[in-house]
Amino acid sequence: MVVDILSIPKRFFRTLSNLRTGIVLLLLVVIAAAMGTFILQRPATDSQKLQSAYSPQTLQWLDRLSLTDVFHAWWFLTLLGLLSLSIVLVSIDRFPNAWRFYARPYRKTDSHFRSALPTKVELPIRNASDGINAAERALKKLRWPVERIADGNQNSLYSERHRFSVMAVYVIHASLLLIFAGGIIDGLFGYSGYLMLQRGQTANVIELRTGAKKVLPFSIKCYEAGQENYADGSPKKWWSKLAVVQDGKEVKTKEIVVNDPLVHRGLRFYQASYGPTGNVEGVKVIATPKGGTPREITLQMNKPVELDKNTTVTLAEFIPDFFIRDNQVFKRSDDVVNPAFRLQIKQAGIDHAATQWIFPAYNPVSQGQDAGYQFEFRDMQMGYFTGLEVSHEPGQWLVWAGCILMGVGLFVAFYMVHMRLWIVAVPNTKGKLVLWIGGQANKNKDRFEQKFGEVVNSIREELDRASNIPRSARKEEAELTLVAVK
Amino acid sequence: MATRARVVRMEPPATTGGNALLILVGLGVAFLLITALLGAAKTGGPLFNESNLLYVALIFYAGAGALYMGFGVTGVAKYVKFASVATALGLTANTLAVAHRWYLAGRPPFASIYEMLLSFVWTVAALTLVTEKKFGVKIIGSITMPLAVVCVILMQLLPSGVRPLVPALQSTWLHVHVTLAMLSYAACAVSFALAMMFLIKDRFPTETFLALTSALVSAIYVAIIATRFEKWGGLSVTAWDAKEKSDVFLGRGVRLFVTVPDLGWLFVMAGVAAMVPLVFYFLARVQKNDSYYGIANKAVFIGILLQVIVLAAFVLRVRDASYASPYQEGLYPTALAASPFILGGLVTGVFASLLYLMLLWRRTDLEALLPSADTLDRVTYKTICVAFPLLTGMIAAGAYWANRTWGSYWSWDPKETWAAITWLVYAGYLHMRITRGWRGRRAAYFAILGFGVVIFTFLGVTYLLPGLHAYA
Repeated sequence: MVVDILSIPKRFFRTLSNLRTGIVLLLLVVIAAAMGTFILQRPATDSQKLQSAYSPQTLQWLDRLSLTDVFHAWWFLTLLGLLSLSIVLVSIDRFPNAWRFYARPYRKTDSHFRSALPTKVELPIRNASDGINAAERALKKLRWPVERIADGNQNSLYSERHRFSVMAVYVIHASLLLIFAGGIIDGLFGYSGYLMLQRGQTANVIELRTGAKKVLPFSIKCYEAGQENYADGSPKKWWSKLAVVQDGKEVKTKEIVVNDPLVHRGLRFYQASYGPTGNVEGVKVIATPKGGTPREITLQMNKPVELDKNTTVTLAEFIPDFFIRDNQVFKRSDDVVNPAFRLQIKQAGIDHAATQWIFPAYNPVSQGQDAGYQFEFRDMQMGYFTGLEVSHEPGQWLVWAGCILMGVGLFVAFYMVHMRLWIVAVPNTKGKLVLWIGGQANKNKDRFEQKFGEVVNSIREELDRASNIPRSARKEEAELTLVAVK
Repeated sequence: MATRARVVRMEPPATTGGNALLILVGLGVAFLLITALLGAAKTGGPLFNESNLLYVALIFYAGAGALYMGFGVTGVAKYVKFASVATALGLTANTLAVAHRWYLAGRPPFASIYEMLLSFVWTVAALTLVTEKKFGVKIIGSITMPLAVVCVILMQLLPSGVRPLVPALQSTWLHVHVTLAMLSYAACAVSFALAMMFLIKDRFPTETFLALTSALVSAIYVAIIATRFEKWGGLSVTAWDAKEKSDVFLGRGVRLFVTVPDLGWLFVMAGVAAMVPLVFYFLARVQKNDSYYGIANKAVFIGILLQVIVLAAFVLRVRDASYASPYQEGLYPTALAASPFILGGLVTGVFASLLYLMLLWRRTDLEALLPSADTLDRVTYKTICVAFPLLTGMIAAGAYWANRTWGSYWSWDPKETWAAITWLVYAGYLHMRITRGWRGRRAAYFAILGFGVVIFTFLGVTYLLPGLHAYA
């Protein structure tokens, strides 16, 4: 058998432009996505948890099939790509017909058409042009746009509403593609990461989700950060006062809270977390020189404080929870329950710095090598960090535009009914001249029938007014209409 | 008119019996209301608070459900009228409960699974009345009212304290997102009920309903037994800390389980009994012998009996008792509140079986009361046309909010993913219907599947799949 190479793209096109293929792709996406929620996913769950949840062989296979990161796997992205391609191709396949229907509406009222239309009414009239004129006036009163169609010597009316609603389905599919496009742009050019700042700190390097580092074109400085609590102790608000620093200048400042990020040059900084760093930010001690007057000083990690011209003191080590063995100080845990501070006192002319320890839980006064000073613990303040989520999503505006467009499209597609009316004066089967009114709607038949009845009543009233028929003479007509209404 | 004449002709004694049930349900409702009133008076608490109002709503919904089912059993059309009055009264109490909670919290009640269920039940009841009045689907309540009752019972057990909003929830988008979610989920629930009605009207074989009911109940029991059956026939349940009003946690997200001895065997028995009708159904199909259906129907009775026994045993043994845990020494108290989903599953099983009995006995009368299959099909489609844009709006609002809070509009979180799956399933329904002309049964199956996915997204994901969407 000879395979025509040239027919392959055509076949591919034909397969993808089949709605059934689209539905199968949709099903595959659904199944893959569901798997992605049942199997623990890689970046979100740490590998330790994964290893305890699955046996090594299973995990190896899951990894090999990239089932531990379904939503970023090449085959999932391919599926999504094929699905969008299918949407495009199905739309292209169907568009010409829809466009023909939209651009060249069927306006004529030949007898085949009249007999095939299910919704129709006949009203007796005396004169063709009077009847048509009355119908036109009635439609205008109800704000239906009216067109007069001349077919030979026969005049008929054509009127329609919401014709654009037949195109809404293309708007919806286009909006879906916009959203996908936004997602793809963000997947390719967007990034997101994490920035941890302490009070007063400035940084321009963020840690990406992948673990890599990224240098931002500007720096972020954190002035203040804090947490407010409810009466029951649960967190109510996290906030950070941030500033954007570019070339040494402060460009922008903002106090951010959880639902209100700072935006600068397409980068958004979100308040994500707040908590203790486990390090001490400041320790207040009273320094007393031998025979001198005591003085209160604040010590910070690794920052020397001058005591007098010849002497400086440095907070060299902080242990949140200590124990002593063999005359050495060790750390027991990270909880700040039993702290210890190591101070180093350096005197001019002496190479070796003196070491003193403070164990506030036992004795507020420092002990250790003599250096002419004694320190008494007063107060300490733990450091807090503010956790900022950083993200750059250049495609998000496409996504929002797509969402809005989809909302509009869905509204038009589901709730705006394309209604058409044809009116012509013709003799009916009994040979009597009647005003034939036919109508059609593409959905919501109940609502259309109500509208249709409204139109028919209005035309009837207009006919009565025009011919001044007294009410008593209308019995015959009423019977006629009853026969005609389906 | 024709309906009533026919019903009276077929069931001459039922009319008098009908009054008896009305009086019975009326007395039951009155009795429960008076005991509740006396209870409230005795404790001296405020009379019109949220939990009392919700209790009143529960009584009326249950009364409505009983009347709808009573209609099913006796075929007296008058019940339906009273049932709809009871639904309206229940809805009123429910509205007041929502209003009271709103007033107390100073914000709309959308912040926890309890509050979401409160809004969900409200919307379901309101939509039931709308469908009944506007589209003439009179007995839709026989499916939606049991659903409402199950939800309200679940709510009685879930922690209901008004909690302050955690930082991430303090946003207008919370209200937009959750309102849209509740409206669309309730519309999906109604479309599910309508699709069921369609299948009844469309002469869907009663035997298949038998198989489906049996499969559903078996699935519930298999799920419970598979996750909770312990060695030597025990059933493990979560330990309850009465002081903190929460489950006992061993670590972050790790609950402490205690074992209730012997209860497991009872569950196994009821589970097996629930599977028996399914087995006989397949036997009947394979051997083409209809007499097996009779046996299957008898097995349903035994199944219901066992299910009620299991329910009673579960309630009696788990409420206010203490059991040992295999993980940690000592006795730990249990409470029904710690196992809302086992209880919800058991109650759902009983209701599903009872609904099947109603169908088995009163199919002709049910069909007589329903509008034409064509109308039901159309109204199902219309409800989905309402649900789908709401679902879309819900997802879009959620994405926008997530973008403001988590820094990303889409993070493939399980809840997000399942919301998208729900959306895709309904999108599939619409495509099949509009372009492929799927009408009738196939469309009804799709609508039922869609609601199954909605329930999983709403409740299943919250309790089975961990993720960012931890609030509800």
